[in-house]
Amino acid sequence: MKGERLGEFEEFTLLAVAALGDNTYAVPIQQYVEKVTGRAVSIGSIYAALARLEEKGFVRSTMSEAIAQRGGKSKRIYTVTPAGLRTARDLHRVRERMWNAIVQAGRS
Amino acid sequence: MTREPSLPRAAQWLLRLSRVAPDRRDEVQHDLHELFVHRRTNRGVAHAHWRLYHDVASLCLQAGSIMQIPTPSSTLTLLRDARGDLRYAMRLFARQPGILLLTVVGLSLGVAIATSAFSIMNAAVLRGEGIADPDRVPGVLKTTDRAVWNAWQYVEFLQLREGSTRMQVEAVFTDGAPVRTTAAESDGPSARFGFVSGGFFTATGGRVIAGRPLERADEAHADAPPVVVSFVFWTSRLNRDPQAVGRTIRVGRTTATIVGVAERGFSVPNNSLFWMPLTAYRTVYSTAPAKGTVDMPVQVFGRLLPDASLTEAEAQLSAVAAALPGIATDHQSKLRVRLDPHAGLGRVSSSNTIAITAFVFAVIGLVLLLTCANVATVLVSSAITREREMGVRAALGASRWRIVRQLVTESLALGTVAAAIGLVFAYWAIPTIGTMIEAPEGVDLAPDLTVYLFLGIVTLISGIGAGLAPAWHSRGADLVTPLKGEGAHQNRLAPRRLRSMLVVTQAAASVLLIVLATLFVRAAFRASTIDVGFNATGLYVVSPGLSDAFSGETGMRSFWARAIPELQAIPGIAAVTLAEMPPFGDGYKSALTREAPARVVYLNRTRADYFDTLGLRMIDGRTYTAGEIAAKAPVALVSESLARAYWPGQSPVGQTLPEAIPLPPTLAKGGKSLVPSPRPSVIGVVADAITANLHEASAFAVYEPLDPSSEIFARLIVRVAPGPTGVVQQVSQRVRSIDPQADVRIASVAAGLQQEASRPRMLATITGTVGIIAIILSVIGLYGLTASVVGQRAREMGVRVAMGAEPGDLLRLLMWDSLRPVALGLVLGAGLALLAGRVVVAAMFFGVSPHDPTAFLGAGAIVIVAAALAVLVPTRRAASVDAAFILRQS
Repeated sequence: MKGERLGEFEEFTLLAVAALGDNTYAVPIQQYVEKVTGRAVSIGSIYAALARLEEKGFVRSTMSEAIAQRGGKSKRIYTVTPAGLRTARDLHRVRERMWNAIVQAGRS
Repeated sequence: MTREPSLPRAAQWLLRLSRVAPDRRDEVQHDLHELFVHRRTNRGVAHAHWRLYHDVASLCLQAGSIMQIPTPSSTLTLLRDARGDLRYAMRLFARQPGILLLTVVGLSLGVAIATSAFSIMNAAVLRGEGIADPDRVPGVLKTTDRAVWNAWQYVEFLQLREGSTRMQVEAVFTDGAPVRTTAAESDGPSARFGFVSGGFFTATGGRVIAGRPLERADEAHADAPPVVVSFVFWTSRLNRDPQAVGRTIRVGRTTATIVGVAERGFSVPNNSLFWMPLTAYRTVYSTAPAKGTVDMPVQVFGRLLPDASLTEAEAQLSAVAAALPGIATDHQSKLRVRLDPHAGLGRVSSSNTIAITAFVFAVIGLVLLLTCANVATVLVSSAITREREMGVRAALGASRWRIVRQLVTESLALGTVAAAIGLVFAYWAIPTIGTMIEAPEGVDLAPDLTVYLFLGIVTLISGIGAGLAPAWHSRGADLVTPLKGEGAHQNRLAPRRLRSMLVVTQAAASVLLIVLATLFVRAAFRASTIDVGFNATGLYVVSPGLSDAFSGETGMRSFWARAIPELQAIPGIAAVTLAEMPPFGDGYKSALTREAPARVVYLNRTRADYFDTLGLRMIDGRTYTAGEIAAKAPVALVSESLARAYWPGQSPVGQTLPEAIPLPPTLAKGGKSLVPSPRPSVIGVVADAITANLHEASAFAVYEPLDPSSEIFARLIVRVAPGPTGVVQQVSQRVRSIDPQADVRIASVAAGLQQEASRPRMLATITGTVGIIAIILSVIGLYGLTASVVGQRAREMGVRVAMGAEPGDLLRLLMWDSLRPVALGLVLGAGLALLAGRVVVAAMFFGVSPHDPTAFLGAGAIVIVAAALAVLVPTRRAASVDAAFILRQS
């Protein structure tokens, strides 16, 4: 396990959950990641990433109410936790700083 | 709105096999379904399916908390465990590269031999020549009360075909002719092919992959004959030309148009390379029309119509045969027909190969046995050193089945690697062996599906077999003893017995193979020194292959009349003669005596100076006179052995040839029918000569005068005096100076003899090679085994040295322990060789006794020396060890 750190794929998944807002579930997440990254993503890897994110406390899952569309079955919906949001922002900030360094180096 | 497609069954089923926890399976299935529907709408059915199964696969392989803890019952667990076993095996092998190398080399040699042997046998016997449902395709035999022939005259065949309604009657005649596929190509050796009647392909069930088969209507096109080429011919001579149909090839003296390409595996009869209508015979050899076809001897066969029985068809054809004009005379019974499924096409040749088949099977079996034994010894010896590891595994809760699986996986992994290498070896070896056994050109030796299947089965059997032996050995393993450390289980009997058994097997198989090889080598030697009774060196057979200018009986006779004096005038030519069947030529004529046991009598029709030309001594009487030849007088010369057998102690001269020796009927006046020949009286006795079939070496012979009307079938025999060179070229030039278009072929009798003699040599080469490989395999096995046994007994040796044993004592002890099973194997192998020599190969021996003591002693010595060397190296290392060091170590 990568501890508190995030792998690239986990980061994508986390950002997808954040972008799709509350009450999202595995299928839209898979479709979103696939669309944004432009590469084929299997549902199994999404499940695995979500499971690891939940283990690390970056997302939280709850069971929804029964939904008629899915034959009266409930589904597992995901929300980003504050810790998850903070980690995502931290990552973004680190990257921004590094990009800035590259841009300045290019100017001089 | 259309109904939503449901999730494919297969995906649901696979999902159940995956590691998704049962309480989450519904949820996952709904997600998959949703994705499937979405993709199907947006990207199409194929994409949706592809992604769906991709997803399911990812669920099977992904680890994560939604996944269940694996249970041992799941199929996938088994596969994953196998992967673990495999990885473990790889690590183990990487630690012992020496053992790995030895085993893989041994295994791949075994696999290669077994595969090549099998693919040749597959080509020769199992695949057959491609007749569909051969039991319904009997041979049509010509029968009287006294004799059975398998040849009919062409005219007789036409009557049979006409009169048959229960069976489709067809005829075939095989011959050879030089073939050119392009105008620029020079003539190669003559190719074998079949002249067939129109319905040949429907009767045999032969199919074509391009164009069409021959049809009844093709019999009318004799002048520009159509030809169907075999798959082998299409591959080797036409480079698989997709436009082959419509091309023309030159066959003998005619140009034939390819109308079809037969499917792979169809080569009936006698591995034919192509097929032409029977009516095209005379255009191929450009002989006179009447001679060309009417009395041509053809083999007749037929396919029974679906509702017809054999007896029904036989009765009908017999009625037709009885009405045939000619042959029936008062002292000969009526002509009948016998339908014999065993005399059908392609059956005659296969009966000859049964002995070889049995032999090849025995070789395959032996090599496999050796290979298994070899790998098993290596694995057993490593299993003994790994007993501790197995103990730990068992103590940690591994079931016995789990440990067995580990061992089988290891040996299967070895087997697979070896099979791949073995296949490469085999690819290289098959054509070599093909040349070695002089496989005819029409035989397709390339491995096919059957061969690959065989290879797979071999790998599985040898892998599992070799893995199970050590597993069997460790079946009694208990948990505690191995963990206590070395020394506690030194004297267990079971593994020793197993190892000894393996060594015994290897030694026995090696001895068996080497004995057979030695016997063949001796047979080959005997064959090359066999006394044929005449000097074959300098003897040549000339087939002039004349053009149309010299066709027919008169043309041929005028040619001989001019050619013989001219050839005799060439300096360096000692003698010239004519004979119907030249010695060791492309055929022979023989009769079986009507006695029990029947004996082979070779028949020949010759000129008077034949005996001088060959150098056969006249023992009694005289040769034929010119008057007798011209008058077709019934006179004959017999060989010395025959004379001694039928007229013991008296001169046969003046006697009539006994009725027990049947002679073929002769052509009646008018040339349209056959009549029984009159009994000749014996006028002379000549020295014995073996002129055909070296292995039978029958010296019974009857020589009759070659009458002028038969000279058309004769061959010219030339004796070249020792000394001058280039005489053979002069012969060819001289013939061409008479007929510029002649297609002269000159064959050396010595070469023909050589070819006959090479048969046992080829068998010797094969068994010898296999025997040597067998020895290598057993040396590898013995070496590995002894090394590991000696390693285990190091402590014991240390103790012995400490008690005062000399290195020499240790060496003797260890050597004797290791060589005892080898000695047992020797005895066993020798016993087997006695049996095998009698059953399988007795027929092929050239007077070499299967109990030949030299072969047995030689083989025993070779195996003992090889085994002693294999044992000596590790043993010496062990015996010279420092006792104090060893004892400190443990």
